[in-house]
Amino acid sequence: MTRDAATCPAVRQQARCLESSTTETHPTIRPKDEVQQKQLCAFGEYVAEILPRYIQQVQVTCFNELEILIHPDGIIPVLTFLRDHTNAQFKSLADLTAVDVPTRQNRFEIVYNLLSLRFNSRIRVKTYADELTPLDSAVSVHQAANWYEREVWDMFGVFFANHPDLRRILTDYGFEGHPFRKDFPLSGFVEVRYDDEVKRVVAEPLELAQEFRKFDLNSPWETFPAYREAPEPLTIEAGDKKGDVK
Amino acid sequence: MAAAGAWAGKVVAAAVGTVVKPIFSRDLNEARRRVRELYRAWYREVPNTVHLFQLDITVKQGRDKVREMFMKNAHVTDPRVIDLLVIKGKIELQETIHVWKQRTHVLRYFHETETPQPTDFLSKFYAGNDP
Amino acid sequence: MAEAARPGKPCELELPQWSTMLRLPAVRRALAGVTQSSRGCVRGTAATAAASNQIEVFVDGQPVFVDPGTTVLQACEKVGIQIPRFCYHDRLSIAGNCRMCLVEIEKAPKPVAACAMPVMKGWNILTNSERSRKAREGVMEFLLANHPLDCPICDQGGECDLQDQSMMFGSDRSRFMEGKRAVEDKNIGPLVKTIMTRCIQCTRCIRFANEIAGVDDLGTTGRGNDMQVGTYIEKMFMSELSGNVIDICPVGALTSKPYAFTARPWETRKIESIDVLDAVGCNIVVSTRTGEVMRILPRLHEDINEEWISDKTRFAYDGLKRQRLIQPMVKNEEGLFVYSSWEDALTRVAGVLQSFQGKDVAAVAGGLVDAEALVALKDLMSRVNSDTLCTEEVFPTAGAGTDLRSNYLLNNKIVGVEEADILLLIGTNPRFEAPLFNARIRKSWLQNDLKVAVVGSAVDLTYTYDHLGDSPQILQDIASGKHEFAKVLNQAKKPMVVVGSAALQRSDGAAIHAVVSTIAHNARTKSRVGTDWKVMNILHRVASQVAALDLGFKPGVDAIRKNPPKVLYLLGADEGCITRQDLPKDCFIIYQGHHGDIGAPMADVILPGAAYTEKYATYVNTEGRAQQTKVAVTPPGIAREDWRIIRAVSELAGMTLPYDNLDQIRNRLEEVSPNLVRYDDVEAANYFSQANELSKLVNQQLLADPLVPPQLTIKDFYMTDPISRASQTMAKCVKAVVEVAVIDRWRADACGVSGADPRAVSGALV
Repeated sequence: MTRDAATCPAVRQQARCLESSTTETHPTIRPKDEVQQKQLCAFGEYVAEILPRYIQQVQVTCFNELEILIHPDGIIPVLTFLRDHTNAQFKSLADLTAVDVPTRQNRFEIVYNLLSLRFNSRIRVKTYADELTPLDSAVSVHQAANWYEREVWDMFGVFFANHPDLRRILTDYGFEGHPFRKDFPLSGFVEVRYDDEVKRVVAEPLELAQEFRKFDLNSPWETFPAYREAPEPLTIEAGDKKGDVK
Repeated sequence: MAAAGAWAGKVVAAAVGTVVKPIFSRDLNEARRRVRELYRAWYREVPNTVHLFQLDITVKQGRDKVREMFMKNAHVTDPRVIDLLVIKGKIELQETIHVWKQRTHVLRYFHETETPQPTDFLSKFYAGNDP
Repeated sequence: MAEAARPGKPCELELPQWSTMLRLPAVRRALAGVTQSSRGCVRGTAATAAASNQIEVFVDGQPVFVDPGTTVLQACEKVGIQIPRFCYHDRLSIAGNCRMCLVEIEKAPKPVAACAMPVMKGWNILTNSERSRKAREGVMEFLLANHPLDCPICDQGGECDLQDQSMMFGSDRSRFMEGKRAVEDKNIGPLVKTIMTRCIQCTRCIRFANEIAGVDDLGTTGRGNDMQVGTYIEKMFMSELSGNVIDICPVGALTSKPYAFTARPWETRKIESIDVLDAVGCNIVVSTRTGEVMRILPRLHEDINEEWISDKTRFAYDGLKRQRLIQPMVKNEEGLFVYSSWEDALTRVAGVLQSFQGKDVAAVAGGLVDAEALVALKDLMSRVNSDTLCTEEVFPTAGAGTDLRSNYLLNNKIVGVEEADILLLIGTNPRFEAPLFNARIRKSWLQNDLKVAVVGSAVDLTYTYDHLGDSPQILQDIASGKHEFAKVLNQAKKPMVVVGSAALQRSDGAAIHAVVSTIAHNARTKSRVGTDWKVMNILHRVASQVAALDLGFKPGVDAIRKNPPKVLYLLGADEGCITRQDLPKDCFIIYQGHHGDIGAPMADVILPGAAYTEKYATYVNTEGRAQQTKVAVTPPGIAREDWRIIRAVSELAGMTLPYDNLDQIRNRLEEVSPNLVRYDDVEAANYFSQANELSKLVNQQLLADPLVPPQLTIKDFYMTDPISRASQTMAKCVKAVVEVAVIDRWRADACGVSGADPRAVSGALV
C-alpha cells in the first residue's frame, strides 16, 4: 500500500458514456451534467489527497456517482474521515453490501454507500476481501453497519473482526453455506419438508423433482455474429498509467 | 466493475508472499487451542441440550455426534480456515445454548429420515432412472 | 412490395421456378456450377481449383481468392462475413427477390444483390459501409411495411430471421402509417400451418418444393403487392418432406401445426439425437420442455440428411406420449393384465428363465431396438444356452447370408448416389422407405444426370425413371445379359444397384439376393469401375436391423415357427410376425417395449422400456454407420432403459450379466462388434466377389409374383412402426391423404382420365 501512498491517485472518468454523448445525435434518456461531474471529480481528488495511504483510486461513474476504492485496512479511517470531516459529513450509512466475482483473486467487493444529509450528496466506498481475510467492522463508525455486516457475513461469508454480535441474520439455524456466493447453487443443497412420521420438519439432500428452468436465447437458425455488437472492452487508463509511472 | 477487479487484483499481486492477516490465531497451535476450547464447551453443553430439547438420545450419542462433527474437519491445517470453522461452531453453539434452535434443527445433525442412495445395480434399477 | 424495393435488376442469374424446367441441360449446368462452387468455398469440401483461374476480390479490404462464378455473398462467407438474407438458401436455387443482401461494391453506381451477383476481379465488397447499411435498413422497412406486428403470438418468435435481422439491421422506428396488406391463409394439410399475411415472398418454400421435394404444389400468384404464395386451388402440400418448409421459412408464415402455441424456442432444451423411424438415421435435435418432447428439428449432417428430415421423423413425436407402457404388467388367471411392481414382474420372468433352457427359450427383436439392448438380450440368451435369437425383419440367409457385412449394407453410402451415373432400384420405393435417400437421388438426378431404372411396381418417385417391369424374371435377364439394361449397366462409370429389404423378404428372397448380387458383380467387373466403388446396396427399412445382424441375430422368425419355444422374449417386436397361434398354449411370452402396440397384448408379462428419445442408445443405419441417441426426456412412469431391464432380469435369474453402466455395456458392444461404438464412422464392407460366389450356391427359384414394395403411396408412409402408429398427427395425415385420394378419383372420373396410371392423377394416390 505504500506503493500507492506516494502519488496522488489519478481521477478516472468512465469514458464510455461521455464519448457516446458527444457523437449521439438522438436525445439520450440521461443528459450529462457537466457541473455535477466536475464537482464530484474535485471532491474525489480532494479526499484522495488527504488520505493517500488508503485510497487507491477515485472514479466517477456515468451516472454521476463518486466512488472511492480503498485498501481494506482503511475502512475505519476512511469512513471516520468521511463522517467527521467538515466538508464531507457523510453521517449516514445508507447501505453496506458485497459483490461476489469469483474470477478475482479477492473475490468479494464490499460496498459502502454513504449519504451526507448536510451536503445532499452521496458517495460510494469500495474495498475487497477474499474468503479468509477478516475485514474491520464499521460498527464503531456507523451503528447501521451492524445488521448489514451480519447480512454480508451470512450471505457471503466475509468475516468482520470486532463486530459486536456477528451471527446469522437471514438463514435458518443449522443452514450451511453462504447463499449469495456465485458457487452456491441456485437450488441449494438441501430441501425441507414436514415429515409426518417424526412429526417435525426435516431437511434432506436435494432431489430435483422438477425441471430446472434454463433459458437458451440463441436462435437455432441463422444469426449474424459479425453484426452483433461486441461488448466494449473496458480499459483502465488512469489506473494503468498510475502503475506504469511508478 | 472490470476496472475495480483489475485494481483489486493488482494490489493483491503485490501483497502475495507477504504475511496474511490472521483472523484470530497466529499459528496452528493457537488454532488448535481454540478448537479444543470449542470442543470442551460443546461437550459440556450436550447433557443440557439433550434435556432442554427433550431429545430421544443418550448423552453419549450426543457427544459421539459432536466428536463426529469435529472429526469431519480433522484434515484442515490452515489456521485461518480453522478459525472460521471455530467461529461457525461457536455461532451454532450459541444458537443451541439459547434455544434459538428448535428440535428439528438439532435433530438435523442425525440425518435419521434420509434414505441412503442405492449403490448396487438392482436397487438403483428399482429406485429410478439415473445412469 | 418486393418490386418497390427493386429499382432495377443488375445482371443476375435468372433461374426458372418450375421443376419441369429444372432439368434442362443448360440450366442444370448453371445451377450445378453455382452449387458446386458454393460447396467449395463455403464448406471447403471440394478440392480447390488451381490457383491460376481463381480471381482475387476484396471483402472490406480483405483479399480473398475465389472461383469464377462465385457470388458476392459466397465470397463474403469465405472470409467469415455473413450477409443478411431472406430468400437465399445454400441448398436452393438463387431467386434474388428479397433484396436484403444488398451490399455496396466500391465504385459501383448502386448496391448489388450479393446472393445473385457473381464477383468480378478486383472488386472491393463493402459489407458494412454506410451505403450498405442504409440499403439494408431501407429494404427492411419495405419488408416490415406489410409484415404484421404479431410477434408476441407468432410461433416463429425467438427464431425468426426477420425478427433477428430487423433488430440488427432495421430502423428503430416506422414511418409507415398506411394500412397493411392482409392475405388469406391457405389450408395445405395437417402438418404445415400457414399465416400468409406474415409472408415476405422469399419463395424459399416454393423452391424447396420444386427442387428438393420434387412436388410442384406451391407457387406464386399475382404481382407486386398482390403477390401470394399458395397452391392456387386449395390442395394439400403432399410431400414426405413437407415439414422442412417450416424450417426454411424465414418468417412465421409457415409454422408447425402440431407445435403451434406450445413452446418458445428459448425455453426448450435441445438435445442432439438420432431418428430411428427409418433406417437412414437422420440427425435430429429433440426440443424438450418440462420433461416432454415439444418438437423435433433436423440437425446438419452432410453425409446423411443434409439439413432435411422427413415428416414422419419430424411429426411422429406425439406418438411418444400415447399408448405408452408405463408400468410392468402381469397377466392374471383371468387373462387380464394387472399392474405390478418391477420386483414382481422381474421375479416372474427370472423364475421362468431359470426353469427353461436351450431350445425352449427364444427371443425376437423388433425394429426400434438399440444395439445395447440387443447385445444384452444376446448375452442373456447365451446364459440360458439358447441360440434362437431372431429379428422380425426377414433377410435371406442362404449363400453368404448375413455372414458378410457387404451383403446387407448400403455399401455406396447415401452420398454415393451423388457420384453414381446409373441407379437401378429393385423392389423398393425409396421415397417412402427412406425419404432422405430419395432426396439424394433426386439431387443427383437434377445435378449430375443420374439415370434411374426401376424393377418393381411403378411408383411415383420424385424423378423420372425407366420402368423395366415388375417381374423378378427381368432381374434374371439383366443378370444373364439378355436384357438391354445390362448393356447400360455395363457402360456405366459408377453404377449403383439398390435392392429394397422388402424384396428380399419374399419366399424367394435368397434367389433375388443371389441374382442382384450377380447383376452387381457383372456391373462391377464389366464396367471396370474402381475397386473402391461398390455396386451392391441394400436399403433397409427399420433402424435396428443392421446392428442386429452385426451382432449375429438370425433374421426372420422361421426358427421359432419350426421349434416353438416354451418361453418367448419379445424385445420391441411389434410387427406381429409371431402370434399366439404359432406357439404352444403354455408358452410364456415376455414383452419388453415402449408401446402397447401389437406385441404387448399377447404377452404374459409386459416390461416397459424406453423409446429412442429417452435413452442413450446406439443405432446403426442402413449404411452401417453407428450413431447414438441421447436422453432428452426421462421414460414415462417407471419405464426403464431396455438393456437395464435385461440386466436386472439376469441378476434375479442368477446369471448376472457383467455390466452395470453405459460404459461397461458399450465395452461389451465393442467386444462383440467394434464398429458399433465407432460413432459416425462407416466401416467399409468388402468381399463382394466372395459373396457372389457363395450366392451361386443358392438353390432357389425366382417366383413369378411381381416385386411390390410395401409402401406404394404416401398413405402407407405415415404409420409404419409403434411410435408413428400411436401418433395422432400421423393419423391425421393418413386421413387427409385418403380424402384427397377420394376427391382426386372423383375428379379423374369426371374428366374421363383413366385411373390406371397413378401418375396421371395428381398426388399419385390409388
